Amino acid sequence: MAAKPTFGQEISNLLYASHGNPLTNCIHCGTCSGTCPVVDFMDQTPRRLIGMINADLKEDVLACNTYWFCASCYHCTVRCPAQIDIADVMYAVKRYSIWHKTYSEDLVGPTFSETFVKTIIRSGRSYEPVLAPTYMFSMGIKEVLQEAHMATQMMLKGRMPVLPTKIKRLENFKKMVRRIIPMGGAK
Amino acid sequence: MARTRLLIIDDDPDYVDGIKSILEKADYQVDVAYNPKDGFAALDAQKYDLLLLDIMMGRGAEGVMVARKLNKDPVLRKMPVLIITGIREQMAFLFPGQPVHPHILPTDEILEKPVDPKLLLEKVESLLQEAAEKEAQGE
Amino acid sequence: MKKFAYFPGCSLEKLAQSYNNSSVETTRLLGVELQELEDWNCCGATTYFHVDQLLAYTLVARNLAMAEKEGLDLVAPCSACYKNAYFTNKYIKEDPDLAEHINYALEEDDLQFNGTINVHHVIEIFVNEIGVEKIKSKITNPLEGLRVAPYYGCQIVRPKHNGTDAENPHFFEELVSAMGADTVDYPERLRCCGASLIMTSRHAALNMVRTLLQSAVDCETNVIATACPLCQVNLECYQPQVNEEFGTNFNMPVLYFTQLLGLAMGLPPKKVGIGSELVSAAPIFDKYLKRTVR
Repeated sequence: MAAKPTFGQEISNLLYASHGNPLTNCIHCGTCSGTCPVVDFMDQTPRRLIGMINADLKEDVLACNTYWFCASCYHCTVRCPAQIDIADVMYAVKRYSIWHKTYSEDLVGPTFSETFVKTIIRSGRSYEPVLAPTYMFSMGIKEVLQEAHMATQMMLKGRMPVLPTKIKRLENFKKMVRRIIPMGGAK
Repeated sequence: MARTRLLIIDDDPDYVDGIKSILEKADYQVDVAYNPKDGFAALDAQKYDLLLLDIMMGRGAEGVMVARKLNKDPVLRKMPVLIITGIREQMAFLFPGQPVHPHILPTDEILEKPVDPKLLLEKVESLLQEAAEKEAQGE
Repeated sequence: MKKFAYFPGCSLEKLAQSYNNSSVETTRLLGVELQELEDWNCCGATTYFHVDQLLAYTLVARNLAMAEKEGLDLVAPCSACYKNAYFTNKYIKEDPDLAEHINYALEEDDLQFNGTINVHHVIEIFVNEIGVEKIKSKITNPLEGLRVAPYYGCQIVRPKHNGTDAENPHFFEELVSAMGADTVDYPERLRCCGASLIMTSRHAALNMVRTLLQSAVDCETNVIATACPLCQVNLECYQPQVNEEFGTNFNMPVLYFTQLLGLAMGLPPKKVGIGSELVSAAPIFDKYLKRTVR
């Protein structure tokens, strides 16, 4: 039976239902890195990240910011000549890092994701003011003031929600979620 | 008599190593699949006496989906299933409280990771027995 | 009147109300009714996929099931909502196990999804359902001389399309031409605006926005037209931050294509949500909106 999976195979296991080709099909052409609009801000380029996953460099992969800086624009995905769904790979590494709590504390992405999902699970709708604290904490005073100024402008133009909205059949909705994620039983 | 044959479907290699060695020391024959697709392929190729099933795999909480699919199969649904999950740790930010025992299959049980070796062996034994009794009663 | 189930998405409730109003008003004028889905829920944007894709599909499927119950195709104006709905619909149709699992969850809300409907972005309604020719025939106030940069962004075209359709689409340009405006040959029309990175990786996102704005300025653009609330907010509302961060001096109006279309069809500016901009579009209207409104 199957030998103990390497890190690269662990990521492949997360992608077992992906519509793209396996990561091992990568030909290292660098089209993804050349296409990526965020590449200048990543610790490692997408091409290198794939190479690092294939080389089982688990710690290095998980420690870099690359996958949390992916904006899901899918430009790499549609251009990849090996037909790897690279954006989907980034999602898989994000899942790995959330499920194993391996992301670095100074990244905003993971906390933002968790708060976003939690907000929706509880109300059925997203609500911007609940999300703000998840990213404001990482900002300097200048950015916080900019953000507050913008929020005020938006409020004046009627573009900011004052109260969170909820869906009507919220109880059904929550039960529906529990059929997918069997959590929240008696303490 | 042939040894009792178990299948583990779980994506966590280190965890699988741990429970596999506990079970093998107790003289069970243990096979492993690291994703649901390989799991179904194994179940297709071979009869197992019991399945140890993880929840968070692949796209998400796929263990539940695997259990529901097994339950639709008239033969596979008779196999006892021990769900072993770290979902409380993995999804703690989402819901407070315990994992819910879904009671999807006729003979299933849930344990949380990390599992005490003694408890693991007890649960496996009792599930095997329960399934054997049901079989004898022709259920 | 042809009817669609309309899924506005969370942004359109307040943040992008002008997109909501202008979409509903312009389609109505062109003989299409967008009937808002009752009790719709958030589609999860991109963040569910970081946590649990099956959960993401389920929450989208609830909206799809409610549209199917009405016997209507689903229309989403937000590109992220559209991508989620389009692919959830596709994957559920392709994978009976996934469909079965999701339907088991939907039972809790007395719903079921059989995969009998299609999903469209609101821009596809104009381009494919209504058609450019019909739109042209309804233009009473052509935006002559106005230089409009059609900004596609990402998820309308990707990853749904690949090859030439993904690299060189032209439907947005045709739509802008139909309004009588000058279509800017906008080199960055398919480049990402940074989306939610504006919240999680601010410096990177502001840089991305700067690139888009600079390119628009270089092409002598009067207004950028968008088809997604995330793009609109990043490109417009963050201009002061971009200016502060990089010492630039951008003052580029960014409007929804439906707002421009509404004006070209003679709708009163207020009806298409003009007036809620942070970067005023008034100067271009003074110059290019010559004729009387409907």
